[in-house]
Amino acid sequence: MESNSVPVRVLVVGTGFIAAQHAAAIHAEPRLELAGVVDIDPGRAAAASRANGGVPWFTDLGAALEETGAGGCVVCTPNDTHAAIAVQVAAAGAHLLIEKPLATDVAGARRAVAAFARAGRVLMPAHSHRHYDYALTVRDVIRSGDLGAVDMVRLSILGGWIWPDWRGWMLDPARSGGHALHNGVHLLDLVTWWTGEVPETVYARGRRQTAAELGIHDYLEMTVAFAGGALAVCEMSRGHRPASYARRDVLVTGTGGILTLPWDAEAGTVTGETGTALLPPGGTDGFATQIAAWADALTGAPPAVTGEDGLLAVAMGVAAERSIAAGVPVRVADVLEEAA
Amino acid sequence: MSGTLRTLPWGSGGLGTQDHQRDMYLPALRGHPGFTVVEAAAGDLTAAIAETGAQVVCVCAPPAERADRIVEALRAGCHVLADKPMAPDLAGAERVAAAARETGLVCMPAHHHRFGAAVQAARAALAAGRIGLPWNVQADFLVDGGDPCPQGELVNFGLYPVDVVLALTGQAVERVHALPGRDPARSTLLLLDHAHGLTSTITVGRLHGTAGAPGMALHRYRISGSGGVMDVDAARPGAAVRTASGTRSAWHGPGTVGRMLTALHTAIVTGRPPEAGPGDALAALRVTGAAARSLTLGTPVPLDPSEA
Repeated sequence: MESNSVPVRVLVVGTGFIAAQHAAAIHAEPRLELAGVVDIDPGRAAAASRANGGVPWFTDLGAALEETGAGGCVVCTPNDTHAAIAVQVAAAGAHLLIEKPLATDVAGARRAVAAFARAGRVLMPAHSHRHYDYALTVRDVIRSGDLGAVDMVRLSILGGWIWPDWRGWMLDPARSGGHALHNGVHLLDLVTWWTGEVPETVYARGRRQTAAELGIHDYLEMTVAFAGGALAVCEMSRGHRPASYARRDVLVTGTGGILTLPWDAEAGTVTGETGTALLPPGGTDGFATQIAAWADALTGAPPAVTGEDGLLAVAMGVAAERSIAAGVPVRVADVLEEAA
Repeated sequence: MSGTLRTLPWGSGGLGTQDHQRDMYLPALRGHPGFTVVEAAAGDLTAAIAETGAQVVCVCAPPAERADRIVEALRAGCHVLADKPMAPDLAGAERVAAAARETGLVCMPAHHHRFGAAVQAARAALAAGRIGLPWNVQADFLVDGGDPCPQGELVNFGLYPVDVVLALTGQAVERVHALPGRDPARSTLLLLDHAHGLTSTITVGRLHGTAGAPGMALHRYRISGSGGVMDVDAARPGAAVRTASGTRSAWHGPGTVGRMLTALHTAIVTGRPPEAGPGDALAALRVTGAAARSLTLGTPVPLDPSEA
């Protein structure tokens, strides 16, 4: 593991939608230093370099690792590239914080986990919601025992269209894995983490709400039955109207009580000509917390999210996609066994 | 309110320890200007109707004989308010429906939650296209504390939110998947597929009881449509009152049972079809029955299209 005295040099790989937040978190974390940015598109790589003080930019990950001697990578490339990039990073002996999903299938996720086990380096999937205040609050209340044994969980993250046009890679299931892999894993991971139970089955329903021609389901409802007796209903939507709609709602019932965390619990609201919206919550920056947790792991702490967590979330996402197609519940163990 | 209706309460049976006649219907009937409660000495329903000249019978006979008493009241020429479930099985409910059709009298299942002001307003707004075409409903019907129902809360409470979802959307259920909660007798998750691709998800159950018990812990519906979203807190309209002795809700205006009685009165005196009838009880019973089958099988259960 790295020492605390010298910052670990880190590459940001992929300079799309979420990269800027990771880069900002790296800049704010004294144990890390941005060594460069990598993107297959030279124009985007150069722009990301300019946005980050002129750090070196690359279009090839191998060259970037070699030239910078980076000890870690934060990967935010399209989902279908994750497994191969993870294996490449492990082979180079670098640590990895990788955007979710860890891979678009279980086999790829297993390859990534195995590669890091062999390399003895840290693999942390960026299930960023675990680091958000709301998720920590729910987890803390559940773990306090106040709610008793968890019975039912509802987690709804609903919004309108934020994606690009038809050319957006997340709309291509071959590239994104489908919405259950692309965003659904956030929720599937979270409810598993909250309950602390083993997911047994996933029953999912999906809609192509924005357009019938969509190749993915912009609205997902994924119901998880856990071996310990808890249930979770996870809603993930990019198909709501109006497009400005943004709601996150949590409900947990248990043998000891009930927790409700409605959409407007975290901040005030503002009502203007365009409707009502939430004011910025004054809480912790989840990306900063996440990068700090990764930095902790680089210096010997157990990772806040493990490769196995990422693998399980992928399996649950795959189960959700299959369940939508088949119309019946899918056993998570069956999905995991296929690629064992 | 024109025409006060002589109303005979019949029976105080229910699921488990519940006595809806005593706790819900009689107080509401006595407080409603459209009804006059009459009492009979006769121990036989037909005789009691003759003795009192009752125009309406509020039937809370024990569930096993409830359908028989409802049919008896209808055949004796009375309109009926029937405690829920209207019958313990579909066969009984179908007999009631047939008797109501034959007699032309009003037979209203006491699905009182569909009459709540917030639900009714939402129903009207949906029907007017306020959020376009609804495509999903998420509902929670969670009671806080009270005596658990020996037959399970799916049988006890399930009808209520299912009926509300059906009333709100008007879309028949085509398929049912149900999952058991940690204590299957206490909580159930219903995942329904309706006509026109609408889906609904309903949590229904009874919490073990918090400091605020007994009461409703959560009763709400979120309806997503092609043009917007509607959030319906069925515990409203009400004021939250917090005092040294605890927190309570103070209802604005008539509650759900009172509003149901007004709808019953309107149907009887105007001759217009009632807002809820045996068909609605059948529809809800078919869903909860299919849910019970789904719980046994572990898979979604299609409803026979002829049942929808």
